[in-house]
Amino acid sequence: MGGLSPQVWRRVWRRQFLIQGCWNYEGMQNVGFAYSVLPALREIYSGRPEEALKSVKRHLEFFNTHPVMGAVILGAGLRLEERAASGEADPRGIGAFKVGLMGSLGAIGDSFFWGALRPVASVAGAILALIHPLVGIAALLLLYNVTHLAVRSRGFAAGMEGQEAAVAWLKKEALSVKTEDRKLMAAILGGVYAGVFTGQYAVHGETGLHTVVLFLVGAAAIHFVTMMFRKAVSPSEILSFLLLVGVLILWR
Amino acid sequence: MLWRFLLAGVLGGLCYLDRTAACQLMLHRPLVAATLMGAIFGNLAAGAQVGAVLELIFLVHLPVGASMPPDDTGAAIFAGSAAAVASSSIGLDGGSFTALILLSVLFAELGKAADRMVRKLNGRIAHLTRESVDRGDLQAVEHGLLAGLTLFAASGAVLALLFSGAGMAVSKFLLPRFGPESRVDFSALQPVLPLIGAASVFACGRTERTAGIFFLTMAAAFGATVFFRWLV
Repeated sequence: MGGLSPQVWRRVWRRQFLIQGCWNYEGMQNVGFAYSVLPALREIYSGRPEEALKSVKRHLEFFNTHPVMGAVILGAGLRLEERAASGEADPRGIGAFKVGLMGSLGAIGDSFFWGALRPVASVAGAILALIHPLVGIAALLLLYNVTHLAVRSRGFAAGMEGQEAAVAWLKKEALSVKTEDRKLMAAILGGVYAGVFTGQYAVHGETGLHTVVLFLVGAAAIHFVTMMFRKAVSPSEILSFLLLVGVLILWR
Repeated sequence: MLWRFLLAGVLGGLCYLDRTAACQLMLHRPLVAATLMGAIFGNLAAGAQVGAVLELIFLVHLPVGASMPPDDTGAAIFAGSAAAVASSSIGLDGGSFTALILLSVLFAELGKAADRMVRKLNGRIAHLTRESVDRGDLQAVEHGLLAGLTLFAASGAVLALLFSGAGMAVSKFLLPRFGPESRVDFSALQPVLPLIGAASVFACGRTERTAGIFFLTMAAAFGATVFFRWLV
């Protein structure tokens, strides 16, 4: 926990959820980061307003990372502030530390949370919503938030123990391995979703060949749309095109 | 009816807050937002139906760095409220369902433009915050963040009001103008929508390892579905 009082520690932990509260193109999460660390800086530099001011200015510099992974940087940054306040570390190193970590942790977080965990939660939610909408929503929220809140909590605590503990925690978490596992899970669930929906269009009494052709058409359509996504065609563009086709159908 | 719109504004505003500014607990996801709107406008299941499809379609766009994905929350608010209203008037048939999903793209793009504007205004707030801190006012950081949050929440609430109102208008006035036959014609596009969603999931995590597994699982689930349909 470092030298922070439990109340301040909890306040900073809560404030990390607002790290994107004033997201802007120039400084991105800078105001949110400064807001999160402010209670701790007030305590660390109590009775030294000039140093507190300098420290807040440091944290108003450009900052952008994945919002969940920001917890680790927040904790480790505060630990560095404590060391800087007691003269054990150079305050100029704090900015460099943040800049050094935000890119790599941002990439890890984007890949794990947006590219792997969210698809698993979403597709599980979409499938279970067929049973009951509330079951689907509960599945989506639980699957995502159990991991999300655990990473925020453990990451912040590890960061508060110092840079080495933060690195050790990141190694132990092995998010890149977990990313691969979640992607595999998303592929399985996505396959189930696609198979069930394509299968619904099979007509009773059709020949086996018709059924195979139906499956192949579905698989080819998915492959084609995936290729379009890979070529940076957005879902909005595809839906707009379909809307145009729909209008032409009505016009006919 | 007024209380429904007020509730839509408040809950929509909360969903929009969760989207960027606060928490990211996934309350802003289309499945959640559309179901909420469906519940507010009288049919939770209809909202969930469109929400589940939109949930997967927009998944492929990741909010990485400064890139701005389409506003899937706005699309869900429109489609969820419209689906609930349609289900109690003309019925949520295949044509209406498809039309609402496709029309929601307009609101996804409108919401994206509004989001960009809010972030630009936040740049001004951040600038003022820095100036105040330079003058020695530490509390300006808290005020700056509060201003940013308020801006996100207010724009979210306004968008939710507008989009749910548009949803209601489309279901009450636009869809009934097309007869049942036109809607049957339009429903020809319906099978494509879940496939776009599946492709979106596949594209999110596509690696050499997952590609084979995706199509194998699809084949197994397809076979099982056909078999059960044959049994029943």
